[in-house]
Amino acid sequence: MKKLVAYITAGYPDSSWTIDLLNSLSPYVDIVELGVPFSDPVADGPIIEKANSLALKRGIKFLDILNIASQSPIETYLMGYFNSFYNQNMETLIPKLSNIGVRGLIIPDLPYEEARIYRPLFEREKMDNIPFVAPTDDRERISTILKDCFSQFIYLVAYAGITGSDKKESLDEVVQNIRDITDRDIFIGFGVNEETAKEKAKNVDGVIVGSHFVKFLLDESLSNSEKLAKIVESAKVIKEKINE
Amino acid sequence: MYIPRKSKFDPKNGHFGIFGGRYVPETLMPILLELEKEYLKIRFDKEFWKEVNYYLKEYVGRPSPLYFAKNISEELGAKIYLKREDLNHTGAHKINNTIAQVLMAKRLGKKRVIAETGAGQHGVATATVASLLGLECEIFMGAKDVERQSLNVFRMRLLGAKVNPVTSGSQTLKDAMNDAIRDWVTNARDTFYIIGTVAGPHPYPMMVRDIQAIIGTEAKQQILEKEGRLPDKIIAPIGGGSNAIGIFQPFLEDDEVECIGIEAGGLGIDTDKHGASLTKGRPGILHGQMSYLLQDDEGQILEAHSISAGLDYPGIGPEHSFHKENGTIRYDHITDQEALDGFVWLSQKEGIIPAFESAHGIAYLKKIADEIQGKIVIVNLSGRGDKDMVQAQKLLNFDEE
Repeated sequence: MKKLVAYITAGYPDSSWTIDLLNSLSPYVDIVELGVPFSDPVADGPIIEKANSLALKRGIKFLDILNIASQSPIETYLMGYFNSFYNQNMETLIPKLSNIGVRGLIIPDLPYEEARIYRPLFEREKMDNIPFVAPTDDRERISTILKDCFSQFIYLVAYAGITGSDKKESLDEVVQNIRDITDRDIFIGFGVNEETAKEKAKNVDGVIVGSHFVKFLLDESLSNSEKLAKIVESAKVIKEKINE
Repeated sequence: MYIPRKSKFDPKNGHFGIFGGRYVPETLMPILLELEKEYLKIRFDKEFWKEVNYYLKEYVGRPSPLYFAKNISEELGAKIYLKREDLNHTGAHKINNTIAQVLMAKRLGKKRVIAETGAGQHGVATATVASLLGLECEIFMGAKDVERQSLNVFRMRLLGAKVNPVTSGSQTLKDAMNDAIRDWVTNARDTFYIIGTVAGPHPYPMMVRDIQAIIGTEAKQQILEKEGRLPDKIIAPIGGGSNAIGIFQPFLEDDEVECIGIEAGGLGIDTDKHGASLTKGRPGILHGQMSYLLQDDEGQILEAHSISAGLDYPGIGPEHSFHKENGTIRYDHITDQEALDGFVWLSQKEGIIPAFESAHGIAYLKKIADEIQGKIVIVNLSGRGDKDMVQAQKLLNFDEE
């Protein structure tokens, strides 16, 4: 069964709504990426960027996100930019996250070389620091990143670009290169929605959906309960499509 | 002929101490690794620098003079020299960097260049060389800056560049850089990102510093010719920090020379309207690097403020963060008002209208007047004030009585 990972920007419209959403998503979603809002999310497209900025305007704090994470019924990773985590002091943060049941971190601006010094910390606390592989990576680079990878899955970026775009690239070679090096699951993210999910899920073990869900969060024509219902319905559809 | 030299402060594995690094999405890592490899091949290569030097001499007008500013020297009781980067083609030190980077871009076979710009000086310098060497050029500029600096926007468009107003976040330089990075991630394979200062992911801080160190290399030779000895102090304004590192670099291993970088004090460093990242910030990660940043308790990046758009940035090049902690360079600040006074002072005493950025360095001479009695001081006059005329007109009143 292929897995569905949902990215949700935490704390918009508010923290308790995010918790309600996680509870409703739990039948369809295998893993949740709880988005830590940041002022300058350079790997993200306009949708997630806007959600980040709205959540910050609502005054969401790191502590609120820990609170949401500790109540999540789904296996949870925190996804955010490195400054948000660095600012909390990695030495104390990683054990704290481990204690409240967070499974790992997903940090798009912390590539392999910069993450290396934190590796013992993750290992000690049995936490994942999810590695990214991009379509610009050749076999040698992929081998460098993944040769001693111990995390649950690999985040495969579907195209060179930012989240939520409709760009397409052939990934057969990259997927093969990853498979040759590691037996970890490959989850593909960037540009996954109801229309693209089936196609993108081919050859990999799961999909990561972000902008497509967050788009409903931003739709001001919907009430809060309608937003929730739309996201859950869409998660259900995507989960079915990737496993057709 | 100018060729960069190895320095005791060269980064190790892309880091200056804990600062610098490559904090970028994985998509860009292979591009940065290739750029580093290619740059190391030409870093000391005569053929490459011969071409750079040709343009710097014939097109930019280098070497820029080291001018003895007699009138302000008399007033201050010191010997003040101005390194005249304001006389360069396009009016600032920025063009040194864009010439060399665009030649790198061509070498790497890229067809398109992009750049971020605040006031528009780096945008104009990039559009200029893209036009000269026939590359497609797109400039990212905060929507607020597009409005404030409409003349520079027109200059860029006249030069054939596309100007892309950025409407996210604070709509200024920081956000322009965010969108330039987003474009770069998307078009990484055929686009070269010409970063305007000694910031961003490795190898940019080292590469831009190597290129701009021509300023200090010339200044060293010029002061030795004129005075027969090294200066006591060198002063330069700091936004991202490229003109400062450029003039300081060849003097950093000379213990008798004190280098002083001047940050934007804005409305005062005890207000929230300034650009003094080193004085008031703390280490963090933005735009591909670890460096001092203006940020709140949660690590969210704050907006900077300065009278000078070129200093209006919440971060600073990582090598400066290193030198601050290391004590190699002294850092201080000048407020908007002090800079404006310095702007008028130099105009009326020497007939040289400095850029608002450079006016910070000039103003600092008055702030440390006691300290420089009888000393030899070089100020990096990093740019000319033409671009600031509209803004200056609103701030100053010279009505005839």
